[in-house]
Amino acid sequence: MSEAFLVAKGIAKRFGGLTALSNVDLEIRAGEVLALLGDNGAGKSTFIKVLAGAHPPSEGQILVAGQPVSFASPKDAAASGIATIFQELALSENLSISENVYLGRELKHSVLGIPFLRRREMKQRVAELLKELDAHISDPEAPVGSLSGGQRQSVAICRALNLNARLVIMDEPTAALAVAETRKVLSLIRKLAERGCAVVLISHNISDVFEVADRMVVFRRGRKVAERLRAETEPEEIVALITGAHPDVRALEKAQ
Amino acid sequence: MRRLNQAMSTLTGRELILLAACVAITIAFASASPVFATPENAATIMRNSVELLLIGLGMTLLLAMGGIDVSIGVVMGLAAIAVGRALGADLDPALATVIGPLTGALLGLVTAAVVVLGRIPAIVGTLGLLGIYRTAIFVVLGGQWLSGLPTSLTEILGASLAGVPLSFWMIALAYLAVWLALRRTSFGLHLLAIGNSEEKARLAGISVIKVRFAAFIISGMLAGLAATFYVATYRNVEMSTGSTLALDAIAAVVMGGTSILGGRCSLIGTVLGVLLLRILQNGLLLIGVPSLWQTVVTGGLLIAVLSLEVLAGRLSFSKLGWAGR
Repeated sequence: MSEAFLVAKGIAKRFGGLTALSNVDLEIRAGEVLALLGDNGAGKSTFIKVLAGAHPPSEGQILVAGQPVSFASPKDAAASGIATIFQELALSENLSISENVYLGRELKHSVLGIPFLRRREMKQRVAELLKELDAHISDPEAPVGSLSGGQRQSVAICRALNLNARLVIMDEPTAALAVAETRKVLSLIRKLAERGCAVVLISHNISDVFEVADRMVVFRRGRKVAERLRAETEPEEIVALITGAHPDVRALEKAQ
Repeated sequence: MRRLNQAMSTLTGRELILLAACVAITIAFASASPVFATPENAATIMRNSVELLLIGLGMTLLLAMGGIDVSIGVVMGLAAIAVGRALGADLDPALATVIGPLTGALLGLVTAAVVVLGRIPAIVGTLGLLGIYRTAIFVVLGGQWLSGLPTSLTEILGASLAGVPLSFWMIALAYLAVWLALRRTSFGLHLLAIGNSEEKARLAGISVIKVRFAAFIISGMLAGLAATFYVATYRNVEMSTGSTLALDAIAAVVMGGTSILGGRCSLIGTVLGVLLLRILQNGLLLIGVPSLWQTVVTGGLLIAVLSLEVLAGRLSFSKLGWAGR
């Protein structure tokens, strides 16, 4: 296995008196799809918000490529190569695909001191990316509002790739999709990993997770209770870990 | 003919409807009034459109961004007073031409500060400013008209270039500049993204505050330019100068196909909306409808267009908060 792209050590997050996360250790490697599982309120969303720079951790340390980092905002995380694709997809429906992929980081060239957009180059680059991802979108000038849910996921993934993200965090990417669209997005996730990206995925769908993830981490009541390689586990075991029926989890919770 | 076909095919359905409506009411008024279809009256309509074309351009930017400015007409009034006072004090007329845009830009800055930094919905914030500016105009004018101003500004701005009045060259330049900014720069892309959803624009890394400030300042500057042409033409400023312009501008821009909720705009639509409104107002006056009815027509058109958009499913106000209801 390659060296870890991101290492989280002893991460804790408290909101007032409420402990949302405590003492989470986790490593994320390049080229790997890591799934975070757990019931609602288990702490997985809080954890990815810490990684994404949306919540500063109360305790603990994050290392990116061996260097300690501290994120004050999602912009800081993006500068470290971490891109987050939110469930509600932060795309502008009234703009085109290529405009969305570049939004906030457009290519420009100066004419008489005025920074004009390099529309043709942006369009070309996005067409290449879409082809590379095999996204089945032919026109990068189409407005995002006219796309299906799965196609929008492809655009969001394109955007992350174009920002040179080395870690892409996805929150329930297949939750609202039809079957065929889900297949497409899962294959996109594999493609991201093949390109050397690290992918962190939150999902409630165990069969999706078993299809796409290399490693699974289970959260329960703000703690990491288990970590399994896909090859060494079964869906039944993961479900038992999530619900707390698994002997390992019982032992752990008794010890507290 | 082929060139005409090409030009027509670049127009959207809405713009074609407006163009057809302009032609239809022109024919109707021409048959109803012998004075309507004369070169003199055409010049009057054009002359009456200058301020609204400029203010409508700024309003298009604001609406596209999901903003609005109901105080913009009174902002033009205040800028007109500044220009008038400068002329009255015998300021160099070349210098007087920049007083208007400068005053407008400053007032735009104030609007942006109130609305953006105060985090108040633009419609409410600018309504508050409208109340304040109205009294400011009264106080500054002392209840009197500013009249009999020197002709120095008129001599500069009343000139013609290649047979076209200078005002129309300036308007063409302003529209070209705004079109380039909207369609060819990051500013336009960011403005339209904010108009679609401010939250999503922020998540994409856009500096929302900067863009919103810029839009309000540009809109103010255009109102200031409109004030300069107003003073050059009429050489007086009264208490009610500009008081119906915000309504006119919002009606014209919305008729032109710009979304009142932001994210979508048409500059050609704004030009056609302004022309339709001014032709209508002029024609109604000529067939004997008292000018009192002009704002009834404008307000009615605004309500009718919005209702039609809601009925056609192009617009929905159901997701708005208290400020929108």
